[in-house]
Amino acid sequence: MFATMNNVPYLLGDEIADFAWFPEQASTFAAENDWLFFTITWICVLFFVPIAGCLFYFCWKYSKPKGEKAESNTAHNTPLELAWSILPSFFLVAMFVIGARSYLNRRTVPEGANEIGLKAQMWNWQLNYGNGVINPELHILVNEPTKLAMRSDDVIHSVFIPAFRAKKDVVPGRYNYMWFEADVASEKVSKEVLEDALKKNGTDPWDYDDWQFTQDGYKFFDLYCTEYCGKDHSNMQTVVVVHETVEDLNAWIEKVSKRIDDENAPGYTKPADWGRKLYNERGCKGCHSLDGTKKTGPSFKESYGNKRPLADDTIVDANEDYIRNSILYPKKQVVAGYQPVMPSYKGQLSDDDIASIIAYLKTVSDYGPKAASKPAEVAPTTEE
Amino acid sequence: MSAGSLPSGSQVKDPGYPTPSENYLTNSKGVLSWIFTLDHKRIGVMYLIGVTVAFGVAGLLALLIRLHLFRPDGMIFQGPEANNWYNQVFTLHGAIMVFLFIIPSVPAALGNFLVPVMLGAKDVAFPRLNLCSFYLWVFGALFFVSALCASGLDTGWTFYTPYSTTTDSSVILATSGAFILGFSSIFTGLNFIVTINTMRPPGMTWFRMPLFLWATYATSIIQVLATPVLGITLLLLIAERTMHIGIFDPEYNGDPVTFQHFFWFYSHPAVYIMILPAFGIISDLISVHSHKRIFGYRFIAYSSIAIALLGFLVWGHHMFTAGMSSLTTIIFSALTFTVSVPSAIKVFNWLATMYKGSISLTTPMCYALSFIFLFTIGGLTGLHLGTLATDMHLHDTYFVVAHFHYVMVGGTLVAFLGGVFHWWPKMFGKMYSEAGGRLSALLVFAGFNLTFLPQFILGSRGMPRRYATYDPEFAFLHQMSTWGSMLLGFGLLVALVVLLRSLFSGKRAPANPWGGATLEWECTSPPPFYNFERAPAVGDPYDFSDLEWDAENERYVKVEPAREIVPETQPEAEPAHADDSK
Repeated sequence: MFATMNNVPYLLGDEIADFAWFPEQASTFAAENDWLFFTITWICVLFFVPIAGCLFYFCWKYSKPKGEKAESNTAHNTPLELAWSILPSFFLVAMFVIGARSYLNRRTVPEGANEIGLKAQMWNWQLNYGNGVINPELHILVNEPTKLAMRSDDVIHSVFIPAFRAKKDVVPGRYNYMWFEADVASEKVSKEVLEDALKKNGTDPWDYDDWQFTQDGYKFFDLYCTEYCGKDHSNMQTVVVVHETVEDLNAWIEKVSKRIDDENAPGYTKPADWGRKLYNERGCKGCHSLDGTKKTGPSFKESYGNKRPLADDTIVDANEDYIRNSILYPKKQVVAGYQPVMPSYKGQLSDDDIASIIAYLKTVSDYGPKAASKPAEVAPTTEE
Repeated sequence: MSAGSLPSGSQVKDPGYPTPSENYLTNSKGVLSWIFTLDHKRIGVMYLIGVTVAFGVAGLLALLIRLHLFRPDGMIFQGPEANNWYNQVFTLHGAIMVFLFIIPSVPAALGNFLVPVMLGAKDVAFPRLNLCSFYLWVFGALFFVSALCASGLDTGWTFYTPYSTTTDSSVILATSGAFILGFSSIFTGLNFIVTINTMRPPGMTWFRMPLFLWATYATSIIQVLATPVLGITLLLLIAERTMHIGIFDPEYNGDPVTFQHFFWFYSHPAVYIMILPAFGIISDLISVHSHKRIFGYRFIAYSSIAIALLGFLVWGHHMFTAGMSSLTTIIFSALTFTVSVPSAIKVFNWLATMYKGSISLTTPMCYALSFIFLFTIGGLTGLHLGTLATDMHLHDTYFVVAHFHYVMVGGTLVAFLGGVFHWWPKMFGKMYSEAGGRLSALLVFAGFNLTFLPQFILGSRGMPRRYATYDPEFAFLHQMSTWGSMLLGFGLLVALVVLLRSLFSGKRAPANPWGGATLEWECTSPPPFYNFERAPAVGDPYDFSDLEWDAENERYVKVEPAREIVPETQPEAEPAHADDSK
């Protein structure tokens, strides 16, 4: 009975998209979760309709002018009261047992699940695909269990993927785990649409909400932070892309991590370009603007080459060494007017990465070599 | 005999009206007579004003939140600090509503006024402690709000570590404020426990107490037992920050989840501090306005105590996704389900009380009906959250927001309003406009549902809590909710206007305008400063058989058969046998 009744909200949902009860079902948990949700809802309806019905019926039926006496003054009826105390308990036990079994299933990671490292920090996600490949997007394989090993260095965050009906807090000082198995692969938009979008978007940061697909052309599922974590909690979102084949996934990993170091090879990745990529993907852009806007951290427009007043009333020259220190030990030298909230990137960015970021900062700062000498971009060397 | 006419040949018992020198509102004059009053009724009135102001402030903040969420990228707060503003506003909204309004609303404001009068006593057991608790509330409120505002605290009212410890020390100030407020709450609870235990009049056994007193008693037990844990948490927080003892902060090998355990060990029972007194109000309102004996008195009384005790065992359900062991999580889920049983019992009992009653759809009754409707929704949606599998999806989404607003606003606030409308004639001796009162109940009901029903769907569709901006696909439901909040705000404003207007142009209230059988209806409206000249005779609090409607004077009166001396003829002055010789 419940199985058919549970489809009713979906039918309505199709009519009026704004009233759909759930997002798309895209993992093995989803169908079970929704079935249980609607079953509980129907049990609630089963109780609520008679309660509300009695409420209004009694109001109408027994509404009397002042001074009329009640028709009955029964004080109690023990069998009746015991019945309505005990009978609903059977429903409660059923809900508890089904819910707990399903929960245990979700907490038991299947053997051989693909493992991806996840690090949450204010206010971005770092997914670690191994071999130093770190990206803010979560890319997984369809029909294969994926396990996330999750940690945080600052405050509590929480991973929530509505389409998978999966959620787990990320707590500093310990590893938390979650797993899920996606059963719907992300569609890919056509090449023309993607190229058109890339052209229109230019070098701006990619706007997922506007385009509704990633810059690699995949449709995606939302991933939200659901544990309040400070100022930009509501911006701490990323996307989940489900690949059909392992070749496709590897191709994507290859694409996002490709860097050609040989200066003479075709497609050579200049350090500043690599730095811009890191700026966009590793959480810098959430707090540091390029156009001078004051966000959680100082804007990079006035960083490199500038004289910065610090919170302890000293003034520091924002040179390469200062920037390197600020990335590795961000709480040591805090610019005046800002809170020491930046997480340390020690161990997460290689020296080469840091040098690339410095190279990139030189290109965006008003005080950098760009301003001093227009023509040549001073060849940034990996000085260490 | 038709309704409204009094049976002939019977005696009418009615205390009449107080003289200005007896009336507790006017028997002494001047600001000082209020500031230093020990009269529980005046302290209750001062609390009522205090919590109303707190509610007004926090309610306006709620409107700001809703207006901001009218557009996906935020409508009210703009610029680079927009999210900060939003976070501070929702923190203030939650903190003021919880600590300054809901917790003291019913017990401190209505309880202070009613507990001694319902007991037929002249005051609470410790009148000075009572005044002290009021001033602690005032002081705590100022301290708390200024701590929140001065530091721009944006941790949410839950102060979760380590976010609350990373920024600055303001969380200690804020928890101190909450702790001072906690002492106010402990003093009130202590006072009521002693008052109810020792000052019941002769004949009032435990099971002849009005159910409001049972609920207040259960609440007071929680206040006294749970609030100290908040103090312990504060001391640990201070020790953590100053000595780095390593209990909450992972940097010193602490565990942030420990803070959540401590916090919810107080704050979950606090949820029952908020809702239990509301149950008490509704039990009395439903019975009085149905003019029918409450059904299942003992079950209702026991279920209050059961909720108070079980409420201490379910705090873990706030942390189902935090990473407790699976076993702990499952145990907390099971315990959570048990607490739903006593709440369900009460709803069934209220319905059974209405069955075959003689219902008057007065303003308080409209609020009570609204309470049953809304609280039932709030309670039932708790099942989705207590079930572990579905909680994995719904935890920390708008589903939770809607659920607890149905319980706290649809439950406690609506019951509080019902209680205020019910006892308003007693407190101030004025009748308000019934039409206006009923209109406000309707507006509040409609506005509330329009605000929070869409939030259930927002939650199941995946909208996380505490977001200043959101994905455009959620916009429509958020807009519905915002329109609803404005209607709700308007309804509450109507209620306030109706009540305030009655003070100036309301008709004089009789001693018993609703036909209640509890003791507070046996003294004048408003009561004299001494409540009762001598402890009244205690009858059954839910026996309405001898209460008759006096249509001429628009009041209920207690009717007793005319007393006459039997036999009619006086015995002769001299005994019959006196003159034996005759």
